[in-house]
Amino acid sequence: MTLSTRIFARRPDFGAIIGVALLFVVFSLIDFSGWWSGRTLGNILQFTAILGCIAIGQAIVIMVKEIDLSVGSVYGLTGIAYITLEADLGIPGAMLAAMTIAGSIGFLQAMAVIKGKIPSMIVTLGGLFAARGLIYVWTGGSVRTMPADSRAHWLNQLFGGELFGIDAAILWLALLIVLLSLVVWRTKFGNRLLATGGDENTALSQGIRTDRVKTVAFVLCSLLAGFAAILTLADDPRTHVTLGDLMELEAIAAAVIGGCLLTGGRGSLLGAVLGAFIITSVRYQMISLGAPASWYITFVGLVVIAALIFNQFLARWATKQA
Amino acid sequence: MSVAAIKKSPLIEVRNLNLHFGAFHALKNVSVSFEAGQLIGLVGDNGAGKTTLIKVLSGIHKPNSGEVYFDGEKVREFHPKLAIKFGIETLQQSVGLCDNLSIARNFYLGREPIKRWFGIPFLDFKKMREASTKVIRTFGLRDNVSADDLVEMLSGGERQSIKIGRAVEFKNRVVIMDEPTNHLSVREREHVNELAQQMRDQGLLVIYITHDIHQVHKLADRIVIMENGEKVTDVAKHEMTADELEEVIRCGGRVVEKASEVAPS
Amino acid sequence: MMGLSIRQLVRQHSEIGIILIAILLVMFFSTTSFDRWATAYNLASIAQITATLGLLALGASLVMGTGEIDISVGSTFGIGALVYLGTVATIGPLPAMLLAAAAGAAIGLFNGFIVTRFGVSSLLLTLSTLLVFRGVAVALTDGFSFSVPYGERSGFLYQLFGGGDFLGVNTGFWWLILGLAVLMVFLYATPGGSRLLAVGGSAESARSRGIRVTRVKVRAFIICGVLAALAGTLEGGKLGFADGGMGRLMELQAIAACVLGGCALLGGRVSLVGVVVGAFVLSAIQSYLVVNGVRPQWFMLLLGVIVVAAAISDRHLRDWALRSR
Repeated sequence: MTLSTRIFARRPDFGAIIGVALLFVVFSLIDFSGWWSGRTLGNILQFTAILGCIAIGQAIVIMVKEIDLSVGSVYGLTGIAYITLEADLGIPGAMLAAMTIAGSIGFLQAMAVIKGKIPSMIVTLGGLFAARGLIYVWTGGSVRTMPADSRAHWLNQLFGGELFGIDAAILWLALLIVLLSLVVWRTKFGNRLLATGGDENTALSQGIRTDRVKTVAFVLCSLLAGFAAILTLADDPRTHVTLGDLMELEAIAAAVIGGCLLTGGRGSLLGAVLGAFIITSVRYQMISLGAPASWYITFVGLVVIAALIFNQFLARWATKQA
Repeated sequence: MSVAAIKKSPLIEVRNLNLHFGAFHALKNVSVSFEAGQLIGLVGDNGAGKTTLIKVLSGIHKPNSGEVYFDGEKVREFHPKLAIKFGIETLQQSVGLCDNLSIARNFYLGREPIKRWFGIPFLDFKKMREASTKVIRTFGLRDNVSADDLVEMLSGGERQSIKIGRAVEFKNRVVIMDEPTNHLSVREREHVNELAQQMRDQGLLVIYITHDIHQVHKLADRIVIMENGEKVTDVAKHEMTADELEEVIRCGGRVVEKASEVAPS
Repeated sequence: MMGLSIRQLVRQHSEIGIILIAILLVMFFSTTSFDRWATAYNLASIAQITATLGLLALGASLVMGTGEIDISVGSTFGIGALVYLGTVATIGPLPAMLLAAAAGAAIGLFNGFIVTRFGVSSLLLTLSTLLVFRGVAVALTDGFSFSVPYGERSGFLYQLFGGGDFLGVNTGFWWLILGLAVLMVFLYATPGGSRLLAVGGSAESARSRGIRVTRVKVRAFIICGVLAALAGTLEGGKLGFADGGMGRLMELQAIAACVLGGCALLGGRVSLVGVVVGAFVLSAIQSYLVVNGVRPQWFMLLLGVIVVAAAISDRHLRDWALRSR
């Protein structure tokens, strides 16, 4: 109960760090899938990289006191655009086009939130269904794949291959955490981002263009979701209409476990990634245990509820002065 | 204490009240008593503890130690509902009216008159409308405002008038006005101050909170000054001029000794 | 003067927008569908869909009125249907219906309790309970569907709860009318309704008037859960079977119906008639797409666009109505 514990506990990602530590202890003791085997951890890390990428974007949006429910659909749509357009545009063109689609969805949603003055929850709930509907309409429900020679394209390998035996996705995620954490905590823009989420009126009165900051946050979030799709499909280029279904909930869950409180101005990118790791590893363990897939979503729900309550308590306790 | 018990007990009495918010000591051993038919000016800078004190009286905060007596009876549970039951009405600048409801509904919010049909409690619209229309007419709202209009259409002064009207109509014994004239035009401010004096004349206890000592000195019978969570001065109006009181506030608690020498207590 | 009175009308009756849209859509659909849309059979089926969606949305609108939101209604709907269909053959329709309603109430109580006790965002919490109970529903059915044998589907009580018709329309529709009437009395003519709207308008003001805000919110969540489970019961009774995926997408349609109907997302303004008309509009669009042979996938895309467009236009209409006195 010393001061330093409180300072550490005041970190928004405190809960997630404890969670990860607990997870390692529990899964080392009760082991269903060969937890410490390279293959298991490797698989979990790869899934974590993809979910973590989306969760980082979600955390940024939550930091400006908004929410983006559309990331799962944007993830799916970007992936399908990448695979489908590849036939006409080639790998670089398709990648660019797919990311453009992702970015413009984010931009459109930001415009609806800012110019239309309606809650982001409704806008992105609409976006979730519009983008998912677009997937259905576009593909007609069919499964798409990519020809083998396109898979071997260097750009595809850059995102989906391996380096020193580590999946490229993991390296990309590590790069993103470092880069975006620097942006959020060390730059002028990051400062404005946190100010906008913390107290929008104060930020406005200090001359911060909060509408621009929010727009950037939304676009960044959609781009990260799109990037996650490219990381996924560069590795395993098969799509179906349910690609990214419920992913938005997992991303929000990861961000919430990582210490984002929906009250804005607070959060942690590293926490979001750790949250993604917790969710992914639990899922992996449950599958190895032979639990029916349906229990998994129940479990994610329960974890989010627990994280919500826990973080609320933690925030109250940590802000209390000794 | 025995003297106080023999005398007719004051309407509100507070003894040795302490309240902490975490490490922040918001009220430090505050003791004060208020009688009916007085207009009290409760003055102090921001964070002096005046709003905290009235939040205890209106049941929003529970004190850590000390006692509160309403009409000689000790308060055991702190809840807004109980304060309302005793007849304490708090008028806050931005709180008390729901913009999305009609004036009539706001008027009776929390104690709606009902008519039972087959055991179902229906709102008594006729009574609600009549009472609120009366207040609209007597408290100087625009002529085209009706009891069915939404509160969001009203100006700041009109809102205050509705709240004051509500306090009078429900035969309250205590009306606490928290910065009632902020954001009001000069004319509206005078109107609200007149209403405060009217309530006092009707025998109510009016506690008027402000940091404008000159304004309240004109109205009040007694001035209580708070500073850093403590009561520093408590004088009848004629004992000190507004300028002297202002000096007390300006110097914080430091000239208290001097001030109390001036005021024979 | 004319403009002023229209403004006043819009200000006091937020459902005007959706009623106008509904009239225009009905006219458009009747003239462009080559008599396939406006048939008695199709209208009756629209009425049935409107009934279940409407009941669901009515509950959601009450929660929205208190300034919270309940996304979990889709799962509660599914659980309601499963509980009803799973027990109706053994204990009879009325107890089964009550059991389903109790399950709905329990989910609502859980949502309300966690939201008010811990101060958790209701959006995130109900999003989580949506997942939890969707998973429970799938696990309950174990991937198969619950169904009622044909022999059991003829009883009066079974027909009463969505399994039959009355005056040519599914009984669910009459339940909607009943529910709408009861809720309108509750919301506009009783102290409970006033307090519910007060909590949504300004929780702080409501509290200062001695209203127990927590209790009002929990009550709204419970009513919402019961109505969602009842809607599920009616849908289950109509279909005679249900699987774990029952009620998917219903939560969004319910929220959409509320927004379309002129309920304020941040609370304090609820238009029950508007909500039901909103549910009708969504059902009508869905059925128009079906009868015109448009792939149902388009509905999903449209739904997303409609929700956002409705929210934006509602906002602008409201701003316009409030602009001048």
